[in-house]
Formats: sequence, structure tokens, C-alpha cells
Amino acid sequence: MAEKPLELYRDYIEGEPGDILLAPGIIFREMQFLNVLILFVITVVTVHAQRGYIHNGSALSFLVNCGAVPVLFWKLPVCVMILILCLLLLLSIPCNNHPELVIKLLLEYGISIWISALTGFGYTGMVMLLLADAMRYRIDWKKRIAYIIVICVFYVAMSGSFFKSALNVIPIDQMWSYYRVDVRNMFLGILNMLALVNTLIFVLYMVVLTLSQTSEKERILRLNSQLQVANRKLEEYAEEQVRMTETKERNRLAREIHDTLGHSLTGIITGIEACIMLMDIAPEATKEQLRAIAEVARNGITDVRHSVNALRPDALENLDFEQALVKLVEESGKSTGVRIDFSFPGTLKNLDQDEEDVIYRIVQESITNAIRHGRASHIMIRITHSSNDIHIHIADNGKGCNDVHSGFGLHHMKERVEMLKGTISWNGENGFVIDATVPIRVDTEEDS
Amino acid sequence: MNLKKYDFTRQRIRRLIVAGLFILISLIILSGVYRKWGFHRQKKIVVGVFAGSYWGIENGYYYRILDEAINRFRQNHPDYEVVYTSGILKSDYPEWLAEQILEGEEPDLYFIPGKDLDTFARIGALHSLDDLIEKDSSFDPSSFYPSAYQAGFLYDHQLALPYECAPRMMFVNKTILDAEGIGLPDTNWTWDDFLTICRKVTRSTDGSGVIDQFGAYGYTWQDAFRANGAEVPDQDGNSCDFTARPVGEAISFLDRLNSLSSGYVVSNADFSNGNVVFQPMLFSEYRAYKSKELSLKKYSGFEWDCVTMPAGPSGDNVSDLDTLCVGMSHKTSHEKEVWELMKTLTFDREIQEKIFDYSEGISPLSSVTESEQTAKMIRQGTGSRFNMDTLSNAMDKSIVPRYFKGYEEINEQISIAVRSILDSSSNLQMEQIIWNRKLNSYLKNLDR
Repeated sequence: MAEKPLELYRDYIEGEPGDILLAPGIIFREMQFLNVLILFVITVVTVHAQRGYIHNGSALSFLVNCGAVPVLFWKLPVCVMILILCLLLLLSIPCNNHPELVIKLLLEYGISIWISALTGFGYTGMVMLLLADAMRYRIDWKKRIAYIIVICVFYVAMSGSFFKSALNVIPIDQMWSYYRVDVRNMFLGILNMLALVNTLIFVLYMVVLTLSQTSEKERILRLNSQLQVANRKLEEYAEEQVRMTETKERNRLAREIHDTLGHSLTGIITGIEACIMLMDIAPEATKEQLRAIAEVARNGITDVRHSVNALRPDALENLDFEQALVKLVEESGKSTGVRIDFSFPGTLKNLDQDEEDVIYRIVQESITNAIRHGRASHIMIRITHSSNDIHIHIADNGKGCNDVHSGFGLHHMKERVEMLKGTISWNGENGFVIDATVPIRVDTEEDS
Repeated sequence: MNLKKYDFTRQRIRRLIVAGLFILISLIILSGVYRKWGFHRQKKIVVGVFAGSYWGIENGYYYRILDEAINRFRQNHPDYEVVYTSGILKSDYPEWLAEQILEGEEPDLYFIPGKDLDTFARIGALHSLDDLIEKDSSFDPSSFYPSAYQAGFLYDHQLALPYECAPRMMFVNKTILDAEGIGLPDTNWTWDDFLTICRKVTRSTDGSGVIDQFGAYGYTWQDAFRANGAEVPDQDGNSCDFTARPVGEAISFLDRLNSLSSGYVVSNADFSNGNVVFQPMLFSEYRAYKSKELSLKKYSGFEWDCVTMPAGPSGDNVSDLDTLCVGMSHKTSHEKEVWELMKTLTFDREIQEKIFDYSEGISPLSSVTESEQTAKMIRQGTGSRFNMDTLSNAMDKSIVPRYFKGYEEINEQISIAVRSILDSSSNLQMEQIIWNRKLNSYLKNLDR
């Protein structure tokens, strides 16, 4: 029955800032106050009438007429007030699910009957409080109407004569028959009027409650649109962040190139110009100079190597290439939950750094694209090795892509591959498939 | 969304506990259980009793029997104090009792006049004695006259015990009977005998032609209905069968009886002056006015005795039994002790024998009333050779009328009906049908 926890309306008590007096919670409290007042009036009048019978010497005829011993005069107000407190206390207990609510309502109903029985069923309006209480919860309309119907049936049952005769209750007009007919009618009239006020307050409560529910729906819509705006801003910010990172990287590269290559090249140019002037005058000195230039060039290339090293991915820096690839695949799979099948020949050694970098980047970028743009759940990566080149085949089961944006990093990939005189092709019709071939240089240059 | 999740289980439990406590407090207050708790419980029994004799004869022994019963009770329960308010007149007593009940200060044990028994039983002011009787092996209900004991059986419970009683009997002016040469009627006499005697004695004794000696005075329709087994209305006063044959017979008997005096309305003075043969009276009056102390006051100019009531053709020699009962308050906190005191008052032979010393009623205990000692006492007291079989016969065939709510009103209506039928000359059965409809509709509309 209770699949979802019950919740109170949020602005049940607070209300909108402007109309604090009309918040349902406030009206509910006013209703409670009115009920306490009504019951207090009833008990006071009843006690007065009871004392009056004794005073008048008509106690016997009173007992004969009512056919029951009435509740002792001091007990009546005490017990009614204790019971109404108890009812208010129960009303203030929030419920988390339907069984709790049903049990609570039954308890409250029992106490209401008790109070009514004590007061001669002169007033049964406290059942309105139960109804108001049940309406505080977010219940779908089907169940809500069921609650309303059941409580109303209980209300009618209570107002009828069933409980009156079953509990052998002395009716209130019998109790008040001590008064002259006109006075008694006036009291009964006041009682009816107060009961009517109670009903009107209840109607007001229902109206305000419904209104506040509608306004809450509106607020949810408003919040939703605000959320969308915030989301869009967040995306823009992320893009800007990417651009900034690119710029930063470019600047760093520029600085790096300027610092290393620029420095070396400047030295080389200066040295060569000196050589040109010295060549005819002092061939020996020129030779000496050229050796020095060679040294500078060599230092330069070392610097460049260092710089390039600094730009390499961490994994490639610290692990060997195969381990780095396995780690990349495993971590991507783990972090995204995508199944990645990966196979490569055991001979991916002796590759140059730039070749390793290109292969690593292709694999990395493809996984990223497949997950981010293709929403693939399965990626297959196969790296094969022939005598002169390495072939990379990457396929996913994503939604593919017919027109390829440059932003996907394919452009970079292509540039990198072409720098190594390789080829790359892709097809986005059925999933996304990338085929790349990277020729391998046979090592001629010695490492320094 | 700032939705609250109700996780104040602790607060809820606290409120539930407080609500439960409130309910408990109300229950304790309303049920009055607290009166049985040690600090509130005093070893004191309050008895409700009125001054003077139940039978309306001022004999000066107001509280003699009660005092002796209390003394006897205190011999077994020396730690108990028994108190009563003295000086409440019998006429004020029911009102006083009702006021005590409204004040919540009703006596633990109280005397209840037969007419008010139904009222106090109906309002639930009397404690059921069923359990106490069942548990008490020393108590034997069959010791009582069944009809007297039945008087306390109301609303399916034994709610009271008979303390003293008196059957309605037919008083006979023996002087006239002797003068006319008619013997005293036997205990099984019938309407025919009754009518025959009346017809014989109704005549002018001084030869003036004006009738100055009459058959009966005060024989009411109630007596006639009772004698002929016409129960109108029924036991609970819910409906009445006014068309029944016994009713018709009773009315036509009354018609014949009344017609004897040819229009003269016999008065009480006629009986006092010794001019009437029969008058129904309570046996207590027989004892009162036959006793030596009071014999000068009333009915002194002639010899008189009492016999059973005459039987109708469809009925028996039935007497109405008037009883004074004792009941236990439903609020008493000394059930056992009050029961002991009740038993002392009603079931103790020695106390019951005192009724013949200090009161005018008779004991509801058959063994006491029918003992040799009692017979001797009655004969001594009344100075006559009273036949005790007459009394025991009357007691055996006695009936305690049920004074349900509206008893007086409906009886008044039946009186009107009977009088109007007797006065009219139209067909009896037609009148019965017409009045049956009127009476039943009156019963239906009676506020009960």
C-alpha cells in the first residue's frame, strides 16, 4: 500500500510571504482553536444546567427523563479538555505512509466519538479536523477522494442516532432542558452557528489548500526553467574552460619552442654567420666554430626532446607503452561502465616516442568520442602489427555520426597521423569505425 | 526544493505516549477507578435512608431496625464505619437521592421505594448483584417470596433485594357480614362471590329507601385488570392489548359493580363509618390500624379483617405487592462490605423479624413471615385470629408492578379510557377497539 512516503505540502505552514494569514496551516490552527472553544462552551453550559437541576430540586425528573447518570459535573470539562488536547496532539503527528495515516485517523475518530458522547452529541464538527488533517498530505486524487468519502461517512454515522443509542448518551437538548425553552433554543442556536462557522472555515481551508497546491506547481515549473538556464551557463562555461586550456597550452608550447628551439637556432644562426665570414680567412677556426654550432644544435635537440617529453601523457612517461595502453583501456572501461575489448600483438616495442604518442592519442580520443558522442556501450579496439606499419582498428556500437565535426578531435588525429606519413579513415554510418595505419621507422638514429 | 523528510520518529513517539497518557487519565477519571485506590479509600459505608415508615404511618421507630443491622454488621466488620443522613422525609427522599447521584455523592447502599426502583435501575445507578449472589454460598434467593425477590430483578440483572413488603388485600367489614349472615370469603373466592355479596349487602338498612350500606369502595380498574390477568400495558410498557377478552370482562365487571350503588359514589368516609363491606388496602394498613396503639384512630366502630383479592374468570386471586428494596450504588468501592450489610438487612432472620416489631410491612423472607412467632405477634398486635394462610396465599400470588418510565401517564390514560367506557352506553367491544388505537398511539408518542 505504501510505496511512496507521504509528504506534507511544503508551504503548508509558511505560505507565500504576502498572504501569511491565509496559509492552510494557519487556518487549520484557527479551526482547532474554534473546536476547543465550542467544546468549552458546551461543557460550561452543561455543567451549569446540571448544577441547576440540583438547585431547582428537579434532579429526579431529570434523571427519569434522561435515563442515565450523567457524567459528574467536574469530570465533564476536565475530561473533555484532556481529550481535545489528546486529539490536537494526535493531529500534530505527521505520518510517513498510508497505514500510519489510517491508524491515526481511526484513533482520532475514536476520540472524537468519545468527546461527542461526553457532550451529548451536541457537536460533531471535530471530524472536520480529521478531514483537514488528512488533506495535508500529498496524496493522489483517487486515494484522497477515498479518504474524503470514508471520513464523511464516519461523520454522518456520528451525527446520526446510532452512537447516541448504542452508548446510551444523554442528548444535549435533554441536558439543557433545565433552561427555559427560549434560552435553550438560543444556546442551541449559538452552538449550531459555531458549528457552521467551523464548516465555513473548513471550506476556506480546502480552497486555500488547493490554491497553494497550484501555486506550488507553478513554482516547480519556475524552478525548472531556472535550472535549465543554469545548465546552459554551465555548458558555456565548460566550453570556455576548454578554450582557455587550449590557449594556455599553445602559449606554453610557444614559450617552450621559443626557449629551446629559439635559443638554439639563434645560436646556430649567429654561429653560421660567423662561419661564413671566417670560412675564407681561417678555415680551421671555421671548423672549430662549426663543431661548436653542432654542439649547440645537439643541445638544442636534447632540449626539444625534453620539451616533448614534458608534453607527453603521464602514463606514457611512467609506464612502458603496452602497459600504458592497457591501463588506459581498463580505466576508461571501469570509470564509464562501457565494455571495451582490446587486443594487440605482443610486439609493440621499439616504437619511437612520437609513434607511441600518436597511437596512444588515437586510442584515447576514439574511446572518448565513442562514449561522449556515440553513447556506445561496447567498444572494440584491435591493434595489428605488420613488418612496416601498425594498423589500428577501433569500432563501437554507438549511434555513429554522419557529418563529422572538427571538434571531435578527429582533425587532430589526422594531423598527427599525417605527420608520421600514415593514413586515417573513419566511417560513422553503423556505429563509428576508425581505421588508421601508422608506418614505423626503422631506427637509424642513435640515442644520445 | 526544500522538502522535509519526517525523520522525527522520536518526537512522534513522544507525542503518541503523551496522547496515550491523556486517554488513560480520562479513562481513570471517568470510570472513577481512583476511588478504589488506597489513599482515597476510607473504611466508611454511607447508607441512604428516609425518616419514618415506608408505609406512611408515623410510628417513631424511624431508624431502629437499621441501627440494629448496623450494629450486627459492625460486629463482623469492626473497622468499618456506617453512617446515614437522618431526617430526610420519605416524600423528599427520591429527589434527595437523585441530587446525591448528580453530585457524585450517592450513598454506598440505599433504600429504594418500589415506585422509584425502575428509575434508579434504568439510569444505571445500581450495582448488579448477580456476581455477589453467585459467589455467596450462604445466600439463598429461594428464601424470599419469589415475587418480592423478583421486584429487584430489572433489566436482566438482580439489582436490589427486598427489605420489606406488603400485598394489597381486600379488607372486609365483618360486622356487616355477620349482620347479613354471610360468611367470610375463602382465599379462592371469585368475582361472582364478590358481586353476590355486594348485591346482597347493598341496600337501605334504615328502611328509608336510600341506600346506606354498600358493597365495595376503592376497587379500581387496576384491581380488576390484575384479578383478571389483563396486563395493560405489557410488562415493559411498550404496547398494550386493550381489546383482549380479560379487559372486556374486567370492564363489564366494574360496570356491574358500580351499577349496584345506583349512581351513589361511595367514599372513604362510608368505609370508615362502617357502611361498606369491602375495600382493598395494603396489608401494612391492616397491621397499622389493627394494632392496639392505633386502633382508636381509624376503622374502630366495627370488626374487620382482610382476605385475598377476588379472582376474575380469566385470572387468579392476585395481589399487587409493594416493596421497599435496598440497592448498592454502582460507584461503591466496598462491594463486599456493602453486600454484607445488604444481607444483614434483608437476609438476616433476626433483623427481618424486627420488621414485625417496628414496622407495618412484612418480611420478604417466607420463613420469617410464616413462622409461628410472627403469627403470634400479628395476632397479639391486631387482637384478631388472623389466618396466616391468607397472607401466605396472597404473597404467593402477588405481583410487583413494573414502574417503567411513563407508567403514571399511561395509567392515567387507561383510567380515562375505562371511565369513558363505563360512562358511555355504546358497544363495549367497539369502545375497546377505539381506545386500543388511542392508547397505542399514546404509548408510541410517549417520550421515553
